[in-house]
Amino acid sequence: MSATTPITPASEPPPALAGRQIRLRLDPLLVLAAVGLVVCSLIAIKGATADDVPGDPHYYLFRQAAFGGLGLLLMWGCSRVDYSRLRELKYVLYGSMIASIVVVYALGAVTKGSKRWIETPFFNVQPSELGKVLLVVSLSAFLVDRMRRPGRQTTARLMLLGLVPAMLVMAQPDLGSALVYVAGALGLLFVAGTPWRHFAALSALGAVAIALTLVALPAAGVNVLKPYQVDRLTSFLHPSDVAGKEGYQQQQSKIAIGSGEKTGRGVAHATQTSLNFLPEHHTDFIFAVVGETYGFAGAALVLSLYALLMWRGLHILTQAKNLFGALIAGGITLMLLFQIFVNVGMTVGIMPITGVPAPLLSYGGSSMLVTFMALGLLQSIAAQAREAGALKTRMAV
Amino acid sequence: MPPPLDERRPTMSPQLARRVAILGGAALVLFAALFFRLWFLEILSGNSYVSQAAQNRVRKIRIEAPRGDIVDRNGRTLVKTRQAAVVQVLPNLLPAAERDLAATYGQRVSAAERVRLAAAAQLRDFDRTRRKGSRKRHRLNAAQTRHRRVLLRGSRKAKAVPLPPIPADPRVRRLFDRLGRILAIRPATIHRRVIQQVAQTPYAAVTVKTDIGPAAFNYLLERQAEFPGIRPEVRYLRSYPYGQLAAQLFGTLGEISPHELKLKRYRGVQPGVRIGKEGLEQAYDRYLRGEDGYYRQVVDALGRACDDPVKCAVRRVKPQQGQQLKLTLDLGLQRAATQAVERAAAASAYGARAGAFVAMDPRNGDVLALGSVPSFDANLFAKPISQETYDRLSSDAAGKPLLDRAIAGVYPTGSTFKPITSVAALESGTITPGTPYTDTGSFKLGPQTFVNAKNAKYGTINIVDALRVSSDVFFYNLGNQLYGQKGQVLQTWARRLGLGRPTGIDLPGEFAGLVPDRQWRDHGFRLYEQCRKKYGLGFQSQAALFKCGGIDRGYSAGDNVNLAVGQGDLQATPLQMATAYSAVENGGKVVTPHLGSEIESGQGSRLQGLKFPSRRTLGISDTTLNTIREGLHQAASAQGGTSADVFKGFPYPVYGKTGTAERGLNPDQSWYVCYVPNPARPIVVAVTIERGGFGAETAAPAARLILAKWFGVNDSAFHAGSDTSR
Repeated sequence: MSATTPITPASEPPPALAGRQIRLRLDPLLVLAAVGLVVCSLIAIKGATADDVPGDPHYYLFRQAAFGGLGLLLMWGCSRVDYSRLRELKYVLYGSMIASIVVVYALGAVTKGSKRWIETPFFNVQPSELGKVLLVVSLSAFLVDRMRRPGRQTTARLMLLGLVPAMLVMAQPDLGSALVYVAGALGLLFVAGTPWRHFAALSALGAVAIALTLVALPAAGVNVLKPYQVDRLTSFLHPSDVAGKEGYQQQQSKIAIGSGEKTGRGVAHATQTSLNFLPEHHTDFIFAVVGETYGFAGAALVLSLYALLMWRGLHILTQAKNLFGALIAGGITLMLLFQIFVNVGMTVGIMPITGVPAPLLSYGGSSMLVTFMALGLLQSIAAQAREAGALKTRMAV
Repeated sequence: MPPPLDERRPTMSPQLARRVAILGGAALVLFAALFFRLWFLEILSGNSYVSQAAQNRVRKIRIEAPRGDIVDRNGRTLVKTRQAAVVQVLPNLLPAAERDLAATYGQRVSAAERVRLAAAAQLRDFDRTRRKGSRKRHRLNAAQTRHRRVLLRGSRKAKAVPLPPIPADPRVRRLFDRLGRILAIRPATIHRRVIQQVAQTPYAAVTVKTDIGPAAFNYLLERQAEFPGIRPEVRYLRSYPYGQLAAQLFGTLGEISPHELKLKRYRGVQPGVRIGKEGLEQAYDRYLRGEDGYYRQVVDALGRACDDPVKCAVRRVKPQQGQQLKLTLDLGLQRAATQAVERAAAASAYGARAGAFVAMDPRNGDVLALGSVPSFDANLFAKPISQETYDRLSSDAAGKPLLDRAIAGVYPTGSTFKPITSVAALESGTITPGTPYTDTGSFKLGPQTFVNAKNAKYGTINIVDALRVSSDVFFYNLGNQLYGQKGQVLQTWARRLGLGRPTGIDLPGEFAGLVPDRQWRDHGFRLYEQCRKKYGLGFQSQAALFKCGGIDRGYSAGDNVNLAVGQGDLQATPLQMATAYSAVENGGKVVTPHLGSEIESGQGSRLQGLKFPSRRTLGISDTTLNTIREGLHQAASAQGGTSADVFKGFPYPVYGKTGTAERGLNPDQSWYVCYVPNPARPIVVAVTIERGGFGAETAAPAARLILAKWFGVNDSAFHAGSDTSR
């Protein structure tokens, strides 16, 4: 550490940390929560998917285990990255996010009526998942740059930057990711201290937009949302109407969870899962599998691990050594919170069906790796905060 | 050495701290919501979801229970159950082409029905606005009349939807062709049954053919894969070993209707279960029906049966056969009575074809034989019956064999009513047993003159003589005298003895008949007058007769005079007459006729006796009863008795009365009602032959044959009598 280091404001990009010896340690509780969730995911997937691929009862289990292992490595790797350097790359990050989403239109494979995937020999990449982290980081950078000039301009620009990729993925159509993007952008604005009246104005605009998409435009003959998306979004309002497919899925999910009672029915007797009454039981509705198979005990354990994750996220946010770190931590935490609440809320019937995966729990490589990447960034923020704190302590001594 | 500024940990601004606190609070609230919801679903309402999950995966598949048999009083089986192979088509497994056709056909049929309903609604509106338009009757112009006629026609009948031809899809054609060859029915017939049935009840299996041979059944069973959607099944069918015998009594079976499902008596019966419709099958359905078994099969979300024996154990509950119904009916007597009535009808000089009989134990109402001629083969109804066959069986040309004339045939009874008049006259004190009356051959009432049949004159006679010779004039006079009394004595006694209301026999579809009285006739006359005035028709004119019915005057003494001899507006069933005569035999007890005797287990051991307490006991004096008995006995045995020659040489004392009912333009109807008061096996018999002529000509000889059979008298000759009184 030399005295010639130029003094720069915290909001400016820091100088290279090259040559410096940083002992990075991982936040143990965050690791515990993540590993715990992956283990829960593996247990649930093992029980739920034993009959799904004929002749290969462990198909999904092994793949998910591989993703989990890779994810842990990725988290470790990311935690070693100096996140502050990412500020310089904001245009690259934002641009590559948009590009990857656009590439899906060109190369994407159609799954269940929507283009979300890019096929590779080993597994299919879902760029909209990667976009979640890229969006948070790049928007954080944009925000930090404009912190000098807070105001309507900043809020509007940031929302616009968030809405562009949201619209793009919504057209895939991937409504769930679009909502996650919007939630992330709003979370960043919130952490950055945007005035309440801006949020009031944004929610008013949002209400108008929703009214337009759901009521006015369809009446005028323009359908922004696919009919099934409208069904999904509205079916949870009248769950007893089992006639519709969406209502049916949610009803089956509630039956699965409810029938788990206190300690669950066990893998052999979890008929909702094994007889396929529960739709998408290894992906979107995996929480219902946990609820049916392991009952309130299992579901509460998973929720507790999520709560631990959130607590660590918010804690790291408060510890961050600079605003950029705080914003990234806040954006990631809020994005995860949104996904958790929407996914679990969907399975227990208090949120609409939006196709948002449960972080670290649902089967899926892209989601798993991207979530670990995000956790790695949190670790990096935590580590650097500790480093800075240690320095400060040393200095004080 | 000062640390670089950017390395210094920035103290959080108060604003950020507040925001983080809000975020933490929000996260807390959201997690609390999820936890609460989980607790609610899993702990509070877990039970209900467990059962929902069970319902989800378990399909209950019904196994039909065979119905109980019906046996006669000696245990001979009259109705039994047999297994039959049927071929059903499961519409949801048929090729899509046929299903689509059925769906569009169904839509067209309901569209046609909607058009009909719309026309009906338009017609209603049209008529309403027309009425509203003005108080006065508004004359329609020609266009309006035409419009209304079109609407009327449209509202009556839905437009027939032409049946689509068999789809061109070779799979459908091949399937139906092959199936048709195997079952020996035309492919078009299969197609028609499928389309019509599916249009009616979309998901139900369609029975294409019942009772296929074992070869065809096994062929189909072994080649399930080649016949998608075709299911050979074993079902239970009723079988009637005695064919036509007592065919009207048993009734038929059919799937429970949506209306019946709501009835209390069918509580717990599942849709699709076959229940008794009509007859004994209906009356004793809850004993005969049995309990369906079922097996529970675990299925997955797509409805596929799960074959994992651990996860999806199949539970099976065996069906329980229904209980056996033992009747009071005597098969031998029933057969003899049927043959006797058939012989009587054949012996008639007026082209008789139809008749009915009742034989009953007068002490308790045990029906020993009850039947109607002509009859039909009950086995026709064991399988689905074609409309043509049904129409033929209901037609006048075939003599309406489906009609059970013993309980639903209502006729004037002729002189068999005279004992009832006698009871009324004696019990009301109008006459005494010895009161003489001079029968001059005619009875004058105002401008009308009533005469005996064939203008017979019987001189001075009392009531016993009058019953013996069946003097109409004597009873005309009684009818007139009873008319003068307060309170319609004759009608009251007729009703007390069971006429004019159902006897309460354990068969559905019994007719009440009619005892004409002042209220009934005056009411009818009021309606006649209203109708006549409305259309401006002349009083008692031909036009008024057609438009407004025949009750063209109020009640008068003449009606009572007619009723006293069982003519006029009186309508009674043979069963009612048998019940009334039972009361004469048993000392005034009005029994409840019944066919049911006991409920037995399948092995024939008694489970439950059926009780039919008599409806009422009439306090008829012994003098009255003995007087009437004497008259009836003399009528069947003494010199000049109306049926004395019929029963000449019959070793048992018969108490009987002939009757000859006039039925407008038709030839007379022959009646005979009698009883034999035997301490061991008393019996009352009522026989009626439509177009049978005089009572002694056909009905009385038939009754003698029935009695002969009952008492084991070895005399099968048809003893036609010569008496020509009414």
